Amino acid sequence: MFEKVLIANRGEIALRIHRACKEMGISTVAVHSTADADAMHVRLADESVCLGPPDAKQSYLNIPAIVSAATITGADAVHPGYGFLSEEASFASILEEHGFTFIGPSADHIALMGDKVAAKKAVEENGVPVVPGSAGAIETASEARSIADAIGYPVLIKAAGGGGGRGMQIVRSADEVEAAYKMARTEAKASFRNDTVYMEKFLEKPRHIEVQVFADGQGGAVHLGERDCSLQRRHQKVLEEARSPALNDEQREKIGKIAADAVRRIGYANAGTIEFLFEDGEFYFIEMNTRLQVEHPVTEMITGIDMVREQIRVASGAPLSFKQEDITFQGHAIECRITAEHPETFIPSPGLVTDYHPPGGLSVRVDSGLYAGYTIPPYYDSLVAKLIVHGRDRTECLMRLRRSLEEYVIGGIETTIPLHAKIIENSDFINGDYDIHWLERFVAGEIPDD
Amino acid sequence: MANKFDIDPDLVRKLSELLNETGLSEIEYESTGRRIRVARQMSGAPLVAVGGAAAAAAPASNAAPQTGDTADTPAPRKGTPILSPMVGTVFSSPEPGAEPFIRVGDTITEGQTVMLIEAMKTYNPVRATISGKVTQILVGDSTPVEFGEELLLVE
Repeated sequence: MFEKVLIANRGEIALRIHRACKEMGISTVAVHSTADADAMHVRLADESVCLGPPDAKQSYLNIPAIVSAATITGADAVHPGYGFLSEEASFASILEEHGFTFIGPSADHIALMGDKVAAKKAVEENGVPVVPGSAGAIETASEARSIADAIGYPVLIKAAGGGGGRGMQIVRSADEVEAAYKMARTEAKASFRNDTVYMEKFLEKPRHIEVQVFADGQGGAVHLGERDCSLQRRHQKVLEEARSPALNDEQREKIGKIAADAVRRIGYANAGTIEFLFEDGEFYFIEMNTRLQVEHPVTEMITGIDMVREQIRVASGAPLSFKQEDITFQGHAIECRITAEHPETFIPSPGLVTDYHPPGGLSVRVDSGLYAGYTIPPYYDSLVAKLIVHGRDRTECLMRLRRSLEEYVIGGIETTIPLHAKIIENSDFINGDYDIHWLERFVAGEIPDD
Repeated sequence: MANKFDIDPDLVRKLSELLNETGLSEIEYESTGRRIRVARQMSGAPLVAVGGAAAAAAPASNAAPQTGDTADTPAPRKGTPILSPMVGTVFSSPEPGAEPFIRVGDTITEGQTVMLIEAMKTYNPVRATISGKVTQILVGDSTPVEFGEELLLVE
């Protein structure tokens, strides 16, 4: 087992990783930019190394600095968290070349799933249902036109190097294809330095349902159930729940098994999430994330499994601690992503947190690095806290969530706590009746109050 | 660490004058995250130390290679620090066994290489950001350093 782990991230996830390490008796090294010198996980970590100035390229994305920090502190392994370098294959391979273990899957699998065209092909070959679309990259506008005609409108032109909802063009009719195709390639080149595009059927009102998988590269592979992450604004998830109110047990088990079998077949190791769009009872693969996800706590709450601990164990060479039949699902969990933004205008609100009182009580969990007196730096994304609540069923979970949101105090800045409080009062949400467009319509005032 | 402190010269002057007028030996002034201490040395001239106040006590103190709280510095510091531009390990000499780049008392010019920092097997020169006389060298050979860490003092 590792003696020292370097946490190559910041904010709430860095604290999460620190906590898992300490529970395993592992020393922690927090690397940080100058702007994060007072972050809670930096204060708690056994050692800290300042990487550089606030700009992420010179700090959290600075591979030489991070490798250097691992060297001078004598770390054994590096956990990349989510975002930043967590899905950068070269980071994983450079670490391994320098004798450090990267806590995550292999560089090859990261690269495979990072290429959205190759990923789709790979999972399709391993039994995963995919969105009907082009067989691969589309080379010309006329090819785009004929494929679109074959799929049937509307279609989506997507960047192979994109992901996370970026680099997509909707095309609703044949005469729009050529212009959209050209624009998609240009934008893909600008955003991802890779102008490869492909095409898929566009689903009008799908839900986003993802399956958490875990494998050890030694034949062990399981699924830990699904999460419904349909509540999104500008392709960013805002609230997630497990289990999905849209599925029955038969559907859950079927898609879970498909996901676990696929990762076992490709020899995947460590945590991963397979994301689907779900419409009219059918699942369609969109992408696989080869890292821990922001919303992993909802899965932890319904399974009782510490996923970061398991990531560290598997990375150290151990087989999975559990088989599929060992995994049980209890109750229901919901996570609210709380961001430092105005709850209606979404204008960012970094700055000094004057008062801080997180909710507590049975089955209430807060993952956050906030504390009274902490100043949120303006340089990074606005997620400042995750409130995760568990209940024996969805109704109890909602009651507990409502109570917890009422109790939560974050003073001195604007946060989206009031938005979450509004969402969970709406009857569509209470009935579990929403799709990936619902939240944007809600925020725009298009969902009637009850 | 690495908190920028804009030194208010009027405040410093005022505190120093107060010290002389009152015959006190030390004045410490603190307000939201900033602390300044002015103390009388044996020679009679007030000495000034500045530092960012520690935030509410952290449960575990951070160990090396981070610099310690500057308010704890016991010896008088003379000069402006040259800071590390990167994470790595200090090499005081161009090669093992060779003379070090600089010694205390040397006069250096801006742009001159004062030490090397090694990271991922490449050696990067640290260039002096100011000219002057080296008053203190704060890191020894093979010391690990982080970004922004003070390497030496120059006046």
